Amino acid sequence: MTETAPTLSAQTLSTVVSQPKLIARNLDFFYQEFLALQDISMEIPEHKVTAIIGPSGCGKSTLLRVFNRIYAIYPKLRACGEVLLDGQNILEPGYSLNRLRSKVGMVFQKPVPFPMSIYENIAYGIRHHERISRSEMDMRVELALRQSALWNEAKDKLKQNALGLSGGQQQRLCIARAIALKPEVILLDEPTSALDPIATGRIEQLVEELKRDFTIVIVTHNMQQAARVSDFTAFMYLGELIEFGGTQTIFTKPTKTQTEDYITGRFG
Amino acid sequence: MNSTHSEHILRSYDQELGRLKGEIARMGEIAVAQIAAAMDVIERRDSRAAERVIANDDAIDQLEASVSNDVLMLLAKRQPMARDLREVMAALRIASDIERIGDYAANLAKRSIALNLTAAIPPVHNLPTLAEAASEMLTDVLKAYRVSDEKMARTVWDRDVDLDSLYTSLFRESLTYMMEDARNITPATHVLFMAKNIERIGDHVTNIAENIWFLVTGQSLDTPRRKADLTSRMEVRPNDTQ
Repeated sequence: MTETAPTLSAQTLSTVVSQPKLIARNLDFFYQEFLALQDISMEIPEHKVTAIIGPSGCGKSTLLRVFNRIYAIYPKLRACGEVLLDGQNILEPGYSLNRLRSKVGMVFQKPVPFPMSIYENIAYGIRHHERISRSEMDMRVELALRQSALWNEAKDKLKQNALGLSGGQQQRLCIARAIALKPEVILLDEPTSALDPIATGRIEQLVEELKRDFTIVIVTHNMQQAARVSDFTAFMYLGELIEFGGTQTIFTKPTKTQTEDYITGRFG
Repeated sequence: MNSTHSEHILRSYDQELGRLKGEIARMGEIAVAQIAAAMDVIERRDSRAAERVIANDDAIDQLEASVSNDVLMLLAKRQPMARDLREVMAALRIASDIERIGDYAANLAKRSIALNLTAAIPPVHNLPTLAEAASEMLTDVLKAYRVSDEKMARTVWDRDVDLDSLYTSLFRESLTYMMEDARNITPATHVLFMAKNIERIGDHVTNIAENIWFLVTGQSLDTPRRKADLTSRMEVRPNDTQ
């Protein structure tokens, strides 16, 4: 199929009220010789939720992993092109990984709390980046737990092991851990696929509240979830960005046949 | 965009969407038959047959209830998106338009019973012309729905102006008869309401056409429609009749 490069329509542009926070330009990504992302160009608006959807193996998680260079821990993986965070290319070797990780937080599919207390789960990361007093740390931990809607459930058991929390609570703890570092962008990689519908609802509610303070990118297999929580949606297929636009447009009247086939359940 | 979409991975989803289309096609067929039956009982002045036409409207109402139920289940089970979502939404709206058309056909039969209590007046004989125009519009718009042809729907939409013109002239004619002889006022009033019923059928057909347009293109048909029903601003004076 000869599809032109995805562009934001005039209608979509008019709904973009904020500046792009993260911009990918002609981004390619290789797992050794395998081209996993091909010429991705997109702009992720600030203080909005952008969803990335697509069938398994389309490159959506890879794209998310490029946004905080988590791939850098593995050899033989490389990215070409540009990813600009506030105008600075994070792929430049000179861009500090420490700085990047404090600006761009990530939450994974399976909640992975550290085997330590709820309090320490959050304090650990903060200590890694800054030196603050005990009372200040207490405040930061409380703020993170409040922002992740976990405070009421956790305030009386801060010293208890985090592994005793339920799956949904653990996932909110992981979000608390990410936002405790005061990042600007939060990347969520299928954050609710291991959770029950109630815990999923809590996370979705949380995403809605968090976009006031953060820019959020969420990868999800659940199309209804993308339709519910996001302002913009990107559809990827075989490592390419097929369509990117306002969520309302993508789910009611997508412009590309491939997008339509995927979201209506016609994709083989 | 066209109607030849590939199949869903879940075959039962296709079957459910197909069932919805089938129910609407059936509703439409009954509505067309009801309009023809109403005209027949008016011409033959057959009050007993008119009662049967009125009773037949139940079949349309039951199909509409069935469409509503199927749409409810489809939304709950499938969470349709994009074209599928528009398909489901259009089905719900089109079913409600056909249901109203069925009501108007039943109303025509009902008034024919009252009309049979008085002497026939000539404007009655113009009702079939109106009904035929409305019925052809309905048949064509149902065809456009069946084959998802938005351009065909648009052509039907444009034809409502002709129905409006026919209605306006019948309105004027009925008023003339009323002014000529006060004994004509009762039958002429019934004829006026009947003509209005048929004119309303045309309006519901244009709604259906607009929904087909939306279903296929994803956009609303927002060009203003030409209107030729001038009766709301019409005044007929006694000397106009001479």
